[in-house]
Amino acid sequence: MLKRSLIVTAALVGLTGAATAQDSYNIGLTGALTGPAAGTYAPAVDGLRIYIDKVNAAGGVNGKKINLILLDDSAQPARAAANATRLVTDDKVVLLLNASLSSTYAPVVGESQKANVPLIFASSVCPKDVYPPANALQFCTTAFAANYDSRAVLDFVKATAKEPVKLGLSAMAIPISRGEIDYAEELSKTLGMTPVSKQIIPPPTPDYTPFATLIKDAGANWTYSWAPWVTQVRTLEGLRRLGWTGDYVAWAHLEAENELARLKDGKFFVVGANSLFQDDLPIHNEIAAAAKAAKSQYPVNQMTEGWIAGMVIEAALKGAGWPANAEKVTASLSNLKVDLKGLRGGELQWTKDNHFRTKQYYRVYRWDEAKGAIVRVRDWAPFDVK
Amino acid sequence: MSSREPRASGYFRSSYDQGLRLIETRMQWTALMLFLAALGTFPFIATSFQLDLACQVFLAAIGSIALMLLTGYAGQVSLGHAGLIAAGAFTAGILFKEFGAAFWITIPAAAVVGALIGLIFGLPSLRLRGLYLAVSTLALHFIVVYLGGEYETKRGFSTGIMIDAPRIGDLLIRDRKIWYFVLLAFAAVSLLISLNLLRSRTGRAWAAIRSHETIAEALGIGVPAHKLLAFVISSSMTAVAGALFAYYRGFVSVEAFSLFLSIQYVAMIIIGGMGSLLGAILGAIFVTLLPYMIEYAVGFLPNARSYAGMLAAFNYAAFGIVMILFLVFEPQGLVGIWRRVQNYFLLWPFKQKPLGGSRK
Amino acid sequence: MQLAINIAVLAAIYALIACGYVLIYRVSRVLNLAHGELMMLSAYLLLTTASLFSKNPLIAIAAAIFLSLCVGVLVYLFLMRRMTGEMVLAAVLTTVALGVLLRGLVVLVWSAQQQNPAQALGWVNYSIPVFGGRISAAGAALIITTALVYAGLFLFLRFSRYGIRMRAAGQNPLLAAQRGISLHAIYALAWGLSTLTGALAGILISLDSGLDSTMVLIGLKAFPAALVGGLDSLVGALIGSLIIAAAEVLMIYYVDALLSDVVPFLVLILMLVVRPWGLFGTREELDRV
Repeated sequence: MLKRSLIVTAALVGLTGAATAQDSYNIGLTGALTGPAAGTYAPAVDGLRIYIDKVNAAGGVNGKKINLILLDDSAQPARAAANATRLVTDDKVVLLLNASLSSTYAPVVGESQKANVPLIFASSVCPKDVYPPANALQFCTTAFAANYDSRAVLDFVKATAKEPVKLGLSAMAIPISRGEIDYAEELSKTLGMTPVSKQIIPPPTPDYTPFATLIKDAGANWTYSWAPWVTQVRTLEGLRRLGWTGDYVAWAHLEAENELARLKDGKFFVVGANSLFQDDLPIHNEIAAAAKAAKSQYPVNQMTEGWIAGMVIEAALKGAGWPANAEKVTASLSNLKVDLKGLRGGELQWTKDNHFRTKQYYRVYRWDEAKGAIVRVRDWAPFDVK
Repeated sequence: MSSREPRASGYFRSSYDQGLRLIETRMQWTALMLFLAALGTFPFIATSFQLDLACQVFLAAIGSIALMLLTGYAGQVSLGHAGLIAAGAFTAGILFKEFGAAFWITIPAAAVVGALIGLIFGLPSLRLRGLYLAVSTLALHFIVVYLGGEYETKRGFSTGIMIDAPRIGDLLIRDRKIWYFVLLAFAAVSLLISLNLLRSRTGRAWAAIRSHETIAEALGIGVPAHKLLAFVISSSMTAVAGALFAYYRGFVSVEAFSLFLSIQYVAMIIIGGMGSLLGAILGAIFVTLLPYMIEYAVGFLPNARSYAGMLAAFNYAAFGIVMILFLVFEPQGLVGIWRRVQNYFLLWPFKQKPLGGSRK
Repeated sequence: MQLAINIAVLAAIYALIACGYVLIYRVSRVLNLAHGELMMLSAYLLLTTASLFSKNPLIAIAAAIFLSLCVGVLVYLFLMRRMTGEMVLAAVLTTVALGVLLRGLVVLVWSAQQQNPAQALGWVNYSIPVFGGRISAAGAALIITTALVYAGLFLFLRFSRYGIRMRAAGQNPLLAAQRGISLHAIYALAWGLSTLTGALAGILISLDSGLDSTMVLIGLKAFPAALVGGLDSLVGALIGSLIIAAAEVLMIYYVDALLSDVVPFLVLILMLVVRPWGLFGTREELDRV
């Protein structure tokens, strides 16, 4: 053991990252690119990568290329911490990005605060700190938003339901999902609905039928789920298998567009803040063409989040000028307006104390059997963020 | 540690006392001093990222030394190591959040909690052997993680419990260089405790139990007491490692303690070499650095960035393969390789030890 | 009634997985902790065969099952054969390592996205009314398959030549070998059969509810079922699965769904304390000097 120092030093010297040339904007992302949670994050990150490549191919920002460093944390907090450290200290990034489970936030936020480098949550759940009054260094481009989502969903349910609503609720047994469903339960009472059953489902559940049975037996006529896609859709499948005919509403995650077409369920509504590719806007064709050229292995319609993050980063770096440092990028982010070209209901605006967006818009979609296509049930409904 | 045989250089022991010494020759003293000097200067030449790696290695080393005591020396298999680390981390986190307890309270508290859990989960070992014991420790992991998750949700710390940097007197342990020395000290103390335990009566009792329980009992060793002691000491050390982990990262969250972490610790002692503290340390270094080495190696491939999405899968696969290779081809682990290399040079130009020669 | 159906489906899932653990343990005293991963691999193999034989779903399933059988035999021939005669623990850890390797490979080949083999086969999972409750087609298939597999295994072990040889190898490998039974062939057969039943479980579960890497955890949750019943008893695995499934579903219904995740392991600890060799298992021999 006395000679292990040799091994340690040899290994560590071998790991020294090559000093990065400072002729580009260095930005770094730690995300769940692989592992059990990757399905939600990897496509968005690939979208971001393709967008940045496109920007670079077109000459970069302010004449400089963007050097996007992608590190995988497999949604493990310890890996995320090590990644963030490396990005901040060795790669000297001017901007950090997180695209992973919420358990990785604490370590990444810690690094960002220590080094005074701004941090954008892209495709990962927005933490409390980005809502007004916002933490100076944290920003969020992700579509979904705790509390606002449930407000929009229940508002939609209230407007649509013809009978008194008996609400079933379904969450995955992870803190963020449980918190939101608890909030929805309280909120539904103030809107004159009766929450009849709330199911919190552990992630590795082989059979969802027992949970579905409980919701059905409680007599729910509407069920709302705000959880990772698996839980949302398997609760629905469980309910339908039991012959439940009520209306089901859930969050429109990345997978929504493909899955609506797979399930073909006319009473399954998805509420979301991103427009689906179904809408066929010019920007959608642009994304599809770029993804095809880059030979991405992920479905195009799951890349919107990454694209939006890319647009925001491009705008922020443009505003920060050259040479940029973390401070200038933070300043540029805190006063930003990005035209999202229809990917969302309006432009994304960040101010000094609102790092979420000043207005959040929601659209509702469902599958229409007669048309054999996804249809819009309700157009952009704006909610002010205060 | 060094082998218990005399060195081939011609140094022979002339009293029992000498056999018990940790450091026997002047050569070993020099090597130790050089090694300590290297450890001491490392933080001043390393980058912050390398320091972070070193700190991770120290944390892993404490855990793997603890597991080595239990499995490698006392012969009690545990697959619930991550659960114990989680228990230590949550003890520190909860005491800090609920009572604002300081570093010098939470660390001993973690040790006590670890010892208690060790006692409880040592109890099945009185009845169970091998496989069945491993399974009961596996259950421990699930229970601790469930309780931790419940605490997090019920108290609303959905993204984990944040812990402030600890403070000893006026010294705020925040800078990575300070952390390096703190963790180094803890690792060194764990190593010393283990060395001393192993060269004492306890260590010999454990070795007897591992070789054959019934014979150990016939020899007059208190088998149940020594088994429990192994669990208590090992769990206590592991829980301290968990608490240190919580402070070092500044947060605690159940997701950090997956079953895979337990597998990693088991891999450390296998890859390092069963029944050797040096093996525990080598294994900790190897397993901690492996993913980074793979990442580094992939960086050399053309078009490296398009592999980024597959790195963890690579890591998983490589980790599995390395573990299989060691299990199948080198059951002695890294230590086995190290000893063979050592022997090769010691015996050169001969290939084998002389049969029944003067050294026997 | 729905309660009983829910328990039956879950018990069938656990029982079909658990018999894989039992087969290998009974014959070679090795606990295969990679069973969950092998099961997942079979389900992913189905994805591939489904795209190859898109016209014939049944051929696709048969091909996937056959491939899984081959995987099981190959795993024994190239990996576990080397561990025969080594310490049991080393063999178990080898299966753990194999599991880790398979998890990595599956992501490398099929990506980490949620997949739907049922859609790939072009099947819809209908729901069938039975006795005042409802059951999904895949759930019903699970129960029937489990019944057939257990009946088949019972007949095979009791009456067929190879079944008797398997039991002999499990009881006393040395005597069996001296009697002229090829232990390696028997062990390989056990591994093949075990992955085959695992493949059936993996494929049916993925047809019922989609496929991603959490399937490994389902495999792990079935392990307490095998142990509670007794690791070397097929009847035990069946009863153990019923107990664990009932405990889990009743927990969801009447206490707290979150506990349902821990309950199999609580039952397991209880069993280990009271009767470590399980309800129907053989008591392991005591040490002799």
